[in-house]
Amino acid sequence: MLSDKELIEVLKKRLEQAQKNQELVEEQRTELQLVNGKLAESEALKSHFISNITNEIVNPFASILGLSKNIIASKDSDIAKIKSMAELIHSEAFELDFQLKNIFTAARIEAGESSPEYIKTDINLLITSIISAYKYKAEQKQLKINFSFELGKEFETAHYFRTDPEKLKLILSNLLSNGIKYSNAANKIEVKAWVENRTLKVMVKDYGIGIDKKNLELIFDRFKRVDSSINSLNPGHGLGLSVTKALIDLMNGDIEIASKRHIGSIFTISIPESDSTENDGYALDGNEFIFGDSDDEVF
Amino acid sequence: MKSSEKNNLLKSHYLYPAALFAEPEPHMVDTILGSCVAVCLYDPVKKIGGINHFMLPFWNGTGLASPKYGNIAIQKLLDKMLALGSEKKNIQAKVFGGGEVVETKSNLFRIGERNIEIALKMLQEQKIHITAKSVGGTLGRKIRFNTETGVVLMKLIQKQHS
Repeated sequence: MLSDKELIEVLKKRLEQAQKNQELVEEQRTELQLVNGKLAESEALKSHFISNITNEIVNPFASILGLSKNIIASKDSDIAKIKSMAELIHSEAFELDFQLKNIFTAARIEAGESSPEYIKTDINLLITSIISAYKYKAEQKQLKINFSFELGKEFETAHYFRTDPEKLKLILSNLLSNGIKYSNAANKIEVKAWVENRTLKVMVKDYGIGIDKKNLELIFDRFKRVDSSINSLNPGHGLGLSVTKALIDLMNGDIEIASKRHIGSIFTISIPESDSTENDGYALDGNEFIFGDSDDEVF
Repeated sequence: MKSSEKNNLLKSHYLYPAALFAEPEPHMVDTILGSCVAVCLYDPVKKIGGINHFMLPFWNGTGLASPKYGNIAIQKLLDKMLALGSEKKNIQAKVFGGGEVVETKSNLFRIGERNIEIALKMLQEQKIHITAKSVGGTLGRKIRFNTETGVVLMKLIQKQHS
């Protein structure tokens, strides 16, 4: 038999427990609501993205088709006109190709099918080729691209760097494309590459519209474009930087931004050199273990 | 040593964190786990297997919904197995990793523990039988998964004292 006092004590304990449980439930509920909100937001972004992307694929194709039709119909003597139309076709197709690469890369990353394939890469050549691919776009805005490459001491003999050239190319293309897109006309873009402690660093600096401090964290989010008013001026779907970030993560690298509104932005990426000696690659300490000895656990 | 010699004949694949792997041809898949968790799915009827390697339990709704996150990685891996022709009722699972390699006083992180939790929970929800697991603890693990036989070799990675 419990005395009244004991009974009250027990009831009090139970009540406390019930209250605690309720608090816990409440806590979990807010957490769920938060996640739910984020999911809804991501869904909205996705459908917004699809309508955006449709324009960006359909419009270039419409101009490519129209322009090439004009070329076919034009006379031999119109060579100057033909040339300028061909230039327009090239620029539309170039942009289209670049955007599609971003989209397919994002899809592959999302499906988990993206893993780095490391090979020895001539960084100087790689960056020079990207810059020359963007030469025409830069000229349209009268931009100058300055590139300098500084070899580290360990690179005295050869400047080959073991990395994934395809992924690096897309990363740098995105940074350069953004630099050009957000630059003010008749200015310059600086690209500097160097190697320190077996880490490749590439800096892309523009003197453009810059990014507000509060938006710096947002720019790597998928489909986000910080300033929606820019949409009308500069096309884009906000996938570039999220792909850039995901690719850099995949290669264990890092990206830093320094930016000031109306002054410009500096993007600096660091990518450590891969230690793999084969194409299929091993992680840092992967080779230290050899299976087949006695202390293997078998599952 | 006979078996390991035979194993060396299989194609090998190094599985990076946040990636997943499921191919119709037999492979030896190696990966190294700290607080990450790898779920190996194996279908003894079709003799095929797949494996993921996720870093965090839940996708938080921002960034890419990549297999870096457990809830995404496990679903994607299962989808891949089904796409390769496995029947769900035949699929078995082995779960590895989730060690608290980085010592921390705060239990806010407990990433390893939460990674294990999501793996076990999702497999249970999908009614996939877990035939083996080696999870938790404070050490890292290196595993080698034979996708043809479903056998997993594992070594604990001893802490390096400098």
